[in-house]
Amino acid sequence: MIDALFNSPNYLAAKKSLDAVALRSEAIAANIANLETPGYKRVDLSPSFRAELERACASGDPNQLASLRPALAADPSAVPTGRDGNTVNLEKEMMELNSNMLAHSLETQLVSGALLKLKLAITGKS
Amino acid sequence: MVDLLSGIQSTSAALNAERTRMDVISENIANAQSTRGTDGKPYQRKVVVFETALQQALDGTGQVATLKSARIQKESRPALMVYQPGHPHADARGFVAMPNISIHEEMADFIAASRTFEANLAIVRNAKAMALQTLAIGKK
Repeated sequence: MIDALFNSPNYLAAKKSLDAVALRSEAIAANIANLETPGYKRVDLSPSFRAELERACASGDPNQLASLRPALAADPSAVPTGRDGNTVNLEKEMMELNSNMLAHSLETQLVSGALLKLKLAITGKS
Repeated sequence: MVDLLSGIQSTSAALNAERTRMDVISENIANAQSTRGTDGKPYQRKVVVFETALQQALDGTGQVATLKSARIQKESRPALMVYQPGHPHADARGFVAMPNISIHEEMADFIAASRTFEANLAIVRNAKAMALQTLAIGKK
C-alpha cells in the first residue's frame, strides 16, 4: 500500500534525475582533477541516459523508470584544446559545475515537495 | 559505500598532486643557483608528472578517473656553463656548471598550479553545498 505512494512517475523521475546529477558531479570532479593530465579524455553522463529517461517518462511506467541506470562515458564530442591530447576545458567544466548545482537544487526541491505533500496528506498539517 | 561528497576522492588526489607540484617548483626556484648538490653535481631541475588511475564505481555505473599520483622526476636538461673563473666550483677553463632553471618558466608554472588548485577547491565547495541540500530533503 505504502509502495504506491512512492511509485508515482513524477517522484521516480525526480529521483532518477537526482541520481544522474550526483553521478555527473563526480564526472566533473574527475575532469577538473585531471585538468593537466596528458591524454586524459573528459567523461560525462552517457548521452543515451537522457533519451531513455524521456522515453520512460513518456510511457509513465514505474518499472521502466525504476530500472533506469545512469552511467558515465567518455565524451566523444570533446576535442583536445592543447597538444597533449587532454580534452578538458576549465571554463566549460566550471559552467557545467554551476548548471549541475542548479539542477541538483531543482531535483532536491522536487523530491522534497513530493514528500511534504505526502506528509500533508497523512497528518493534515503542513 | 555511497559517498555523501561525490567525486571527493579524485579532487583530494588532485589537490595533493598540485600541492606537490608547487613544492617542487619552489624547490627549483630555491636551488636556481646551487652549483653543488649532495651528489657533487649542480642541481638538476625537477618536474612533476601526472598520471591517472581508473576508479571503478562500485555499482558498475562506469569508470571515473582519479588523479593517481604526481611522480617527481629529474629533468635531463644540460647544465648552463657560465664563465666565472674566481668561483670555487669553476673547472680548469673557468666555467661553472649552473642549474638550467628559468625563473620565468617556474613562475608561470606556479601560477598554473595555483589556478588548478583553486578550481579543485571550487569542486569541494560545490560538493559540500550539494551534500547539505541532499540532507535537507523532506525538510521545509
